[in-house]
Amino acid sequence: MSAGPYNYSYIFKYIIIGDMGVGKSCLLHQFTEKKFMSDCPHTIGVEFGTRIIEVAGQKIKLQIWDTAGQERFRAVTRSYYRGAAGALMVYDITRRSTYNHLSSWLTDTRNLTNPSTVIFLIGNKCDLEGQRDVTYEEAKQFADENGLMFVEASAKTGQNVEEAFLETARKIYQSIQDGRLDLNAAESGVQHKPSQPGRNTLSSDQQFNKDNCAC
Amino acid sequence: MLLPTHENVINIVQAKFSCTEIVKTLHLNASITQKEWLDENRILALVEHDSTFALFIIISEKLKPESFSDLTIERAIPIDEHFSCDTDPIPESYTHIIFSIIYKKIKLNFVIEIGFESSNFASEVIRLKEISSLNVNDFHWLDKYSSGVSQTEINLQDPAMNDQSPDLPIARQKIAQGHGISANRESFLRYQLSLKEPEYTHLQEFSIFVGTWNVNGQPPTISLKNWLSIDQEPPDVYAIGFQELDLSKEAFLMFDTPREAEWRKAIMDAIHPDTKYRSVAYVRLVGMQLEVLVNNSHYKYIRNVAIDTVGTGILGKMGNKGGVAVRLELHNTSLCFVNAHLAAGVDEVERRNQDYNDINQRANFRRHPYTIREHDQVYWLGDLNYRITEQSAVQVKKHLANEDLASVLLADQLNQQKDLSKVLQDYSEGDITFQPTYKFDLNSDVYDTSEKARAPAWTDRVLWRGKGIHQLAYRSHMDLKISDHKPVSALFKSEICVVDQNKYRKVHEELLKKMDKLENEFLPQVTVDQSEVIFDIVKFREPQYREIIIANTGQVLAEFEFIKKLDDVSYCKEWLSITPFSGCIKPGEKCDLRLTVNLEQPLENIYDILVLHLMGGKDMFITVSGECQKSCFTTSIATLSRAPVPLLHLTPDQFNHAENQQSPILYSIPRELWLLVDHLYRNGLKTRELFESTALHEEIIRIRDWLDLGSMDQIPGSIHAVAEALLLFLSYTRDPVIPYHLHDTCIAASSNYQNCKQIIMQKMSDLDRNVFLYLSMFLQELLKYSNENGTDPKTLATIFGDILLRDPIRNSRPQANRGKASFIYHFLINDQSSLIMPCK
Ligand SMILES: Nc1nc2c(ncn2[C@@H]2O[C@H](COP(=O)(O)OP(=O)(O)OP(=O)(O)O)[C@@H](O)[C@H]2O)c(=O)[nH]1
Ligand SMILES: [Mg+2]
Repeated sequence: MSAGPYNYSYIFKYIIIGDMGVGKSCLLHQFTEKKFMSDCPHTIGVEFGTRIIEVAGQKIKLQIWDTAGQERFRAVTRSYYRGAAGALMVYDITRRSTYNHLSSWLTDTRNLTNPSTVIFLIGNKCDLEGQRDVTYEEAKQFADENGLMFVEASAKTGQNVEEAFLETARKIYQSIQDGRLDLNAAESGVQHKPSQPGRNTLSSDQQFNKDNCAC
Repeated sequence: MLLPTHENVINIVQAKFSCTEIVKTLHLNASITQKEWLDENRILALVEHDSTFALFIIISEKLKPESFSDLTIERAIPIDEHFSCDTDPIPESYTHIIFSIIYKKIKLNFVIEIGFESSNFASEVIRLKEISSLNVNDFHWLDKYSSGVSQTEINLQDPAMNDQSPDLPIARQKIAQGHGISANRESFLRYQLSLKEPEYTHLQEFSIFVGTWNVNGQPPTISLKNWLSIDQEPPDVYAIGFQELDLSKEAFLMFDTPREAEWRKAIMDAIHPDTKYRSVAYVRLVGMQLEVLVNNSHYKYIRNVAIDTVGTGILGKMGNKGGVAVRLELHNTSLCFVNAHLAAGVDEVERRNQDYNDINQRANFRRHPYTIREHDQVYWLGDLNYRITEQSAVQVKKHLANEDLASVLLADQLNQQKDLSKVLQDYSEGDITFQPTYKFDLNSDVYDTSEKARAPAWTDRVLWRGKGIHQLAYRSHMDLKISDHKPVSALFKSEICVVDQNKYRKVHEELLKKMDKLENEFLPQVTVDQSEVIFDIVKFREPQYREIIIANTGQVLAEFEFIKKLDDVSYCKEWLSITPFSGCIKPGEKCDLRLTVNLEQPLENIYDILVLHLMGGKDMFITVSGECQKSCFTTSIATLSRAPVPLLHLTPDQFNHAENQQSPILYSIPRELWLLVDHLYRNGLKTRELFESTALHEEIIRIRDWLDLGSMDQIPGSIHAVAEALLLFLSYTRDPVIPYHLHDTCIAASSNYQNCKQIIMQKMSDLDRNVFLYLSMFLQELLKYSNENGTDPKTLATIFGDILLRDPIRNSRPQANRGKASFIYHFLINDQSSLIMPCK
């Protein structure tokens, strides 16, 4: 009695970033649970989700970190970029300010991840066409100028959600195949064999036990 | 305590013991994992005698014993100080765990099913172990159970017993590192898939031809067609075994023989011509050879092929006797073929039984399943060498001449031993309708005419074990005469579990989805009752507490820990402490955390974001904030000397001007310092241990407020509290009275008063010098009353050296401390009135 061999060959770490309220948590939820949360509280911290997908016949486990978008947490959430293989950068097409902030999100991403990190721009809430505040064309141009992949999506209807996550994985996988992404690099965001999400990368070195300190 | 179904069994087990030995509880179906032990059905029993306890390992003939004669006591282990037990998960299993019994250096591992029975049993063992540690135990009653030294007794002494299979610790480590479901994802999936097997499989009949022939070292000079292709239909699978392929010394010693290729070719020439076959596996040990072939079209459904050989011949390990085995999976059914050649000799029945056991125990396919018995279907073939002993050759031949096989079969050793459960216990064999296949004169159909004139015997046999196997034919092949044995074959229709790929994919996908969902559901989940903790006005050395409650709202154990942010040295700032800062919460339960803020620095406000990390899950941010109140204790001497009114009455502007040293110095020493010292001077000169006893916390707070707010009232608190407040004041001033950069110079100068004096006079600011000299004069005054207050210059020098020359981080080396004390000492014993200069 035995079943076909089942295993995932890779683990990809993703982060989702962007202003508060743009729908990061909803996108994650839609991707992992296929459901929309209409009343989603602000994320105060970093949520964690996982799903196994298949790319080119390879099983890949995605470990997705959904970060808090509120400005006051920005300094802390910066610690989570490290070691991400994919970064989903989200804005809300109905709120221009969230689009205007993209360049600052992009700067952080570029500074805090490695060059092979795949950055995917998502214009969320495209179901709210009537309230559109950012045109597809200008966002597309912004993406092209900065070499980002881009779709407009809706965490509510599910439109393009799957695509964004999978396309990112495909791109990462391609980088591995091409040898552009060095699996041995400590912060490639890709692991070759299954392992635990474990402790996050907030601090890779030993915990400092405060109780041992005489202060 | 006991499962109802066990009540009968406990009575049966009790019958094995005397009436003063009471069977307390049982565990059925404990299978031992060590290979050295016979794979038997074991029962664990806890037995009490005169308030001492022992654990018994009992072998049961049947899964559930029906009478006490089914039971054999294998070993008794006293539950005393040498006894302990342990449980460990089994990699890839959700249903079973390993229960280990450790006694001195011996460790026995049992595989038991997880459930009510096992948890009861384990907890009872642990309980008894605890009880026994309180008593003086006499275990003489166990002597009678260990007198007969059994095979297991010997094994228990064997150091190899302590070793576990090499891959176990690794797998265990894997589990230990993982959390929850994701660590065992693969085994969980495999288990689920096996449960759902009926949904994506159906049974399909395959024909399996099993042949065995002892060829007596002869080369294949004849065709094997009359053996291998006598059936109309080509079989789907062939398993063909030879024994005594080559009897030469070379074959035995060099393990190499030209016969191998010759016989393999003879097989390929003789297999059924209507179908193409492909060899799946081939294995040989000296003269024992086994080849498995399948119909080409099935080849792609064969997986996980493995072979092993077991020599049981000379020295118990050489390959002249023993067995060779091939295992494989055909579709979803695991098959194992064993070709055995057991010990020869009419009287060697026990030896043959032993060989059979050895093959079973030692065959190891180095992958799961490891042993022969674990396969869905086992086909056991070979020259098993069991003879006819109770009848003479003449008698046997007479029965055979009368075609009375039945009478002879009654005397067949294999049938007899099998009935006694000594060999091939749960194997089946078809009715034998053919003449004995041994021993013939070569190239004839005539039974042994040599002097020995052995009785003919059915040495060559095929047996099977497993579900869905139907034998269609069982026969000998008299036409093949070159050996002293005739070949035997059996044809089976066997039900093979065939996977429907489409259905399988669907079930597999569904399971994957379910597991993704499960995995997210099984991530640890907690909620905190507040993510923003705001403290009231935070004051100097007046701790405040806030509680936050973490509730485990998930389905698995939540292990939490506060972790530090990227560039921080600790998980929280020095003004905060969190207890506990890590812990474990069971599902549905809560944990209170206490945040304590204690301010000892001059801060305008406190602010930090704490990161609460869940192992294997999310992180939560908790913001801590609060406004701080200024205090003279943490303000610099320079600022205080410029303050016209108590600190908390200063306007922000006044404060900033003082702080930036823009306003004029109004006092030659800070007002607060003067108030404290003056009070001590007036009221404390004759107090014993003035600087050596601690005050109540509240007293210090009251003195702090009295100083910071100003008051017409008397200074609050005891004289000791005022003394402690003075020490605190000097310890926390933003800079030490003697600036940091002078410390090394001071320590270096400490052996010479003139040098020390020079530092004070030339290197210090006027304010600091005033404070320093003012203090030393006060201390000198104090020392005048040493008869009353019991103080001495050395003690004071040590206390004040530590404070006036305090380190930036409070961890000074003893060497430096001594230097600081001797520095101060000079100023306590030498007259300094000449040094005092008016403030500019
Ligand atoms: N109409 C519509 N509403 C959406 C969509 N995605 C999210 N929302 C809503 O937008 C609000 C904010 O969504 P969240 O997913 O919590 O936003 P977030 O980016 O995670 O916010 P922070 O956790 O504060 O960083 C919620 O009320 C959602 O219901 C969408 O695609 N369409
Ligand atoms: Mg969110």
